[in-house]
Amino acid sequence: MYVYRIMLFLVFGGYLLSPLLMSGWASPGVAWYRPFVIWGVLIALTLWLEQKRRLDER
Amino acid sequence: MSTGLGNLLALGIGYLLLLFLCALAVERGWIPRHFVRHPAIYTLALGVYASAWAIYGSLELAGRAGFGYLAYYLGVAGAFLLAPVLLVPIQRLTHTYQLASLADLFAFRFRSRWVGAFITLVSLLAVLPLLGLQVQTLSNAILRLSGTDAPALLTLGFCCLIALFAILFGARHTRLHDRHDTLLATIAFESVVKLVAMLALGAFALFGIFDGPADLQAWLDGPGHAAQAETRHLDPAQWRTLLLLFFGASFLMPHMFHIAFAETLSRQTLLQASWALPLFLLLMALPVPLILWGAQHQGVETATTGFAYLAFSLSTSWWVGALAFLAGLAAASGTMIIISLALSGMILNHLVLVAHPPVAQPDLYRWLRWLRRALIAAVILGGWLFYRLVGIHHDLVTLGLVAFIGMAQCLPGMLALLYWPGANRKGMVAGLSVGVLVWLAGLWVPLLTDQPAWIFLPPGLEVLAGEAEWYLVSLVSLSLNILVLILVSLASRTSPGERAAAEACSVDAVIRPKRLPLVAANGTDFKRHLARALGEEVAHREVDRALSALDLSPLDGRPYALRRLRDRIQANLSGVMGPSVAQDIVDRYLPYRHDVRGATEDIHFVESRLEAYRSRLTGLARELDGLRRYHRRTLTRLPVGLCAFGDDGELLMWNDALADLSGFPGNAVVGARRDSLPPPWGKLLSRVLAEPHDHLYKEPVELDGGMRYLTLHKAGLHDDEDERGGHVILVEDHSEMKWLEDELVHAARLASIGQLAAGVAHEIGNPITGISSLAQNLRYDTDDPQVLETAGQIQQLTDRVSRIVGSLVGFAHGGRHVGGRAFAPVSIAAVTEEALHLIHLARSGEDVRYHNRCAAGLEVPGDDQRLLQVMVNLIGNARDASAPSGEVVIDAEAQENWLHVTVTDDGHGIDASMRDHLFEPFTTTKPPGEGTGLGLPLVYSIIAEHRGQIDIDSPPPGCRHGTRIHLWLPLNLEDGERRHEPDPDR
Repeated sequence: MYVYRIMLFLVFGGYLLSPLLMSGWASPGVAWYRPFVIWGVLIALTLWLEQKRRLDER
Repeated sequence: MSTGLGNLLALGIGYLLLLFLCALAVERGWIPRHFVRHPAIYTLALGVYASAWAIYGSLELAGRAGFGYLAYYLGVAGAFLLAPVLLVPIQRLTHTYQLASLADLFAFRFRSRWVGAFITLVSLLAVLPLLGLQVQTLSNAILRLSGTDAPALLTLGFCCLIALFAILFGARHTRLHDRHDTLLATIAFESVVKLVAMLALGAFALFGIFDGPADLQAWLDGPGHAAQAETRHLDPAQWRTLLLLFFGASFLMPHMFHIAFAETLSRQTLLQASWALPLFLLLMALPVPLILWGAQHQGVETATTGFAYLAFSLSTSWWVGALAFLAGLAAASGTMIIISLALSGMILNHLVLVAHPPVAQPDLYRWLRWLRRALIAAVILGGWLFYRLVGIHHDLVTLGLVAFIGMAQCLPGMLALLYWPGANRKGMVAGLSVGVLVWLAGLWVPLLTDQPAWIFLPPGLEVLAGEAEWYLVSLVSLSLNILVLILVSLASRTSPGERAAAEACSVDAVIRPKRLPLVAANGTDFKRHLARALGEEVAHREVDRALSALDLSPLDGRPYALRRLRDRIQANLSGVMGPSVAQDIVDRYLPYRHDVRGATEDIHFVESRLEAYRSRLTGLARELDGLRRYHRRTLTRLPVGLCAFGDDGELLMWNDALADLSGFPGNAVVGARRDSLPPPWGKLLSRVLAEPHDHLYKEPVELDGGMRYLTLHKAGLHDDEDERGGHVILVEDHSEMKWLEDELVHAARLASIGQLAAGVAHEIGNPITGISSLAQNLRYDTDDPQVLETAGQIQQLTDRVSRIVGSLVGFAHGGRHVGGRAFAPVSIAAVTEEALHLIHLARSGEDVRYHNRCAAGLEVPGDDQRLLQVMVNLIGNARDASAPSGEVVIDAEAQENWLHVTVTDDGHGIDASMRDHLFEPFTTTKPPGEGTGLGLPLVYSIIAEHRGQIDIDSPPPGCRHGTRIHLWLPLNLEDGERRHEPDPDR
């Protein structure tokens, strides 16, 4: 269940900080794929949390 | 770029035919079932969220707002990240109560058919622009690909084919909640098509137009920078509002709700989608800016035509346009199919069936199926009409936002449904009404009439007057919606039914139903009652289905079982005709009896629910649940029978020991009324409860064909602070103790007889000594050989009587021989011969043949008289066990330091249950009156005196019956070893 709290923290934290994602669109020097990399890292984190939750529930 | 009408028709119709083929392959089983049911298929089916908006609308939004287009994907990704706390509870509810749509869920929670109808109407109004958006993209894609003059008619043709597909493969089952493997697999296939098409377009832009990521970056930092700088970014508040709208859309939109919850699936699959769906959406979102930048790099004009269809202009190659068209067709058709299925179910259950209840419909299932098919067609054609009349005048972003903001009005109610049991119907309806009115006035009506939006700005928010209309309407409608919901819910009263439903829906609460009995007495009675509403055939089918799911017998009359049966039937009917109609039917035709006193919470049911929720408990609740399980386990595994009854006489607990004793497992009797328990338990337990005392001692009860003696104790469970009352009863099996008590009495009686016998023996001793003396005198007085022999025999027999009497007295004094004779070499053959001689004197067993096979030279150190006693006892027992023509064989052989003597008979043998007790006093296999049970203990005692061992084979190895007694006597005794006293420990 503590895993759920981490997810809640991630989602609400991400919700508050997410406007920063848009700043990369027209900023020279910022990699165009930056939002997708951040998104990918979040997915990997979710996958890890999901596997941890499965182990907890066993 | 146009490829011509023929190519377009070949492409479009070819794709739809492929879709039919895919569905047929799944339906016919050409594709393995494990593949169709793989969790990845479910995740791809959830990709239905990526509608035509994801293909064309996202391009439009990316062109206007840069990375703002990502809100569409990140909103749903956030909702699925929260799957364990948001989506899994909804899935549990929809699965438990067979709720197939948002309207079903709201009608169930707020206990009103009007709520269901209201949600259906809101969904219909909100989804029409989304349907119009799909049709519009289809029409525009056809126009761009074929250049035809009549895209609307062609679009209508495609809509008809899509409707036909939905009718053929989506409306097979009457129950909305049945999993449609075919449908899921087909939607998954469409997701793969649109993903591959988008990735191919993105790859073409990245590597076909640019020279890879580095070149793209260089272009963005250089020549492309000017174009990007013109993009107007969303401000953070608008971005967050968009995220919230798409977050709500991920589970509120009818098509998403349908795939995520109505298509039955496991919790694990949904949790797996929490990362797999965001991954799918990431791949869908990635090509969008690439296509946009590729088109800008090519210098495609966007000032008049917008950004939505830039993919068609990426290249003059036909396949680029074909890919853009296929991606759009796959996305639009999937969304239209699922929306039509979901909306048709909602309209059927909450509008049609509420207005026209299907009471006693001759063929209910068929009637429902055809009604649903007509509604599917009507919804899709309604979408086409909306596009023609309204959608054609608006861009994709406007249409999409109107739809998403409309559905978001259900978000406050949904969150209250899950997390706030205090919310009630009045609050939800008032909040939703206010929110929907603001939305209608601000966005929906202007969409239809082209009139300026009427947006109400509450005092204090006037500063926002210049903001985008969609943003203002979202902000105001949702804020008012939430505020009114909270205020009205707090100010108004909640009905008991609604409170119970709130507990059932609440994430942290467990439903606590009352233990009310039903009017119907069993499953068969259910069929009779339901037949009045559903007709004979449907009633039988529904009751049988519920009985089979619960694994109950139609004759099971336990109130607990009947309550579960009623709940199951209600849930099943809810899957067919919605929760409102289902509840009306069960309330009217399967009513509870309210004349019962003392019905409290259904503890057994609450416990079973707690077991299911265990993994969701945290902190103190988890600790308390751990304690509850421990105490429950203590009671269940208590090695004494235990049962508990409520005040209304319903059995609440029946532990393992009682199940073993009675032969009835707990799950077969828990929930039954006390008086309906199988005999003799109903009467016995009623009797102990009726007793003025708290106990019933050693009550004789016939169980398993034998008599058992049970002791019962009872205690009341009433407490001033708890309404739960009743009684707990302990049931102890005292049959063993009763048997031991009887044995003790018997032993005491035998002991007194033994004392008497010892006294008698003492008295006999004197006359025997006299007889012996007289016989001695007789030998001196005569020379007659016959008389001398008789006198000798008399002396021999009187000696024997004296020794027997001495042994008896010795046994009576603790089994110790009192003679005190010294050990001397004893010939076992001679002892056996003498024993046989004495046996022959007895009249019984005259037909039995005896064989003494002991070799003459075999000798052991011992007391010949004591060993004679052993042989007399063993041969006597063998004789008594043998049939009239039986044989008794006595054999002996020396084995190392031991003499092994066996006495073998071919009689009836010894019962296995007796074998372990044979050397205990008073244990006999002989009929009452014939054996004292002292012979073998005496033998054991004597053999122990001789440092020997005794063992029994019954039957002997290789024989079918009979007994063989083995004696092992030492051939030599060591010096200094005690010779006269047996080892008391042996």
